[in-house]
Amino acid sequence: MLWTIAGTSLRETGRRRAALLLVVALPLAFYAARSDMQGQAIRFLAIGVGWAVATLALFSHVGARHLDRRLAVVGTSPTALLIGRQLALIGMGLALAAGYFGLVALTQDVNRLWAVGLLLGTTVLIAAPLGAVVSLVLPRELEGALALLAVMATQMIADPEGALAKTLPLWSTRELTGYAVDPVGSEYLWDGLAHFAVVALVCAGAAWIAAVVRLRPQALPEPEPEPVVL
Amino acid sequence: MTDQWHESFARLLVERGVAPGEARRLAADSRDEARAAGLPPAELFGPAAAYAAGIARAARPAPLAALPRARGPVVLRLTGVTKRYRRREVLRGVDLTLRAGEVAAVVGANGSGKSTLLDICAGASKATSGLVERTARIGYAPQQHGTAPYLTADEHFRLFGGAHGMGAKRAVATGTHLAAGLGWRPRAGTVAAQLSGGTRQKLNVVLGELHRPDLILLDEPYQGFDQDSYLDLWSQVYAWRDAGAGVLVVTHLLHDLDRVDHVLELKGAEDR
Repeated sequence: MLWTIAGTSLRETGRRRAALLLVVALPLAFYAARSDMQGQAIRFLAIGVGWAVATLALFSHVGARHLDRRLAVVGTSPTALLIGRQLALIGMGLALAAGYFGLVALTQDVNRLWAVGLLLGTTVLIAAPLGAVVSLVLPRELEGALALLAVMATQMIADPEGALAKTLPLWSTRELTGYAVDPVGSEYLWDGLAHFAVVALVCAGAAWIAAVVRLRPQALPEPEPEPVVL
Repeated sequence: MTDQWHESFARLLVERGVAPGEARRLAADSRDEARAAGLPPAELFGPAAAYAAGIARAARPAPLAALPRARGPVVLRLTGVTKRYRRREVLRGVDLTLRAGEVAAVVGANGSGKSTLLDICAGASKATSGLVERTARIGYAPQQHGTAPYLTADEHFRLFGGAHGMGAKRAVATGTHLAAGLGWRPRAGTVAAQLSGGTRQKLNVVLGELHRPDLILLDEPYQGFDQDSYLDLWSQVYAWRDAGAGVLVVTHLLHDLDRVDHVLELKGAEDR
């Protein structure tokens, strides 16, 4: 069932051509805007990928809300519905990340190129469940999109050394960008990966709890058999 | 002009759920009849669309394995069901017992809580008080948002078939057969958003009966239907009933209630 949901979700999203075009264009616009500064360009590219994937996840989950409720009522597990849709979104996100990794490899001479792949991948793995959490807590497109805008805009302008930046979901992206671009030690790598692991776990856990709470149908007892009248 | 009528007739038959081979055979028959009568087909049979609608109705496959009617065990029992949204009471003390092999119609004015009651029966919403008992194997066709706009009919069949443990091929074959019973043949590559409102509603209904459930819950399932489709739907409802399913239909049309087993009339809070 998991793969049926993932495949269906992939086809459904794949047919929204205009939305997909914008998903591809957003990180490119961010990258092009800062292409003269390598570190900034890669960080903004990664945040663009994260923002695009989170928004795609938000709209995908909000759009499927009624259908998922119907499927849950007739016996599909809310966990399978969440994981199936997340598999499709992560697959698309990783394909997008792979494309932009190729672009960076072609256009920049990066100190540790493999770390760029790592930071794009971790960003996608945070963004997909983040979009799901927002969609399940704020189940309307406008409110959800504004919430994501607030998170991502704050992420871009917050002082990376400050406490606020560390509470935001993509702080790891900034740390891993520093590791990829600058001649710094491995503490940037480990700090980034630790932050990623915590945020990914929190987002996935929150998305799962919200999905179960919102989609799980009422447990109704079977009708009592009637007594036989002799 | 004559050829055009026959081609149009065959195409309309297919669109109304007749198998393509059968449609070709029927078109050839009508051509032979027109030739034998020495009249243009439009003069002999009338407009192709109207003639195709009548012939398609007669040529449709029988519903799956209709069985002699027998009332079975209780599939849904509501006892004193009440629903409140904050201080607004939507349902008060609703009682109903529905058995396998019976049809119940839920009627009432707009805002009387019909859809809320169906959601409670499905388990999508919780009753504030009272007891809801129902069988586990249900089919559920909500009034709105029951389908995904960017999926084709076959993809819907595979998805819902998967939910019921059916293989993809069997789910598509069953869905296509049930769709034909409602006078519709799904076209490959056409997503739900491209279907008319009535056809989308047929898809919604087919998804609710895909796995031959013990209890079928339908919320105003005929919206957007033409007259033929409306009659087909009620034929389907009675076929499910005769095959041993319990059917609960939310409706605001009162002229089909003489054949149902139970009529549950809900009154809005302002009418109580």
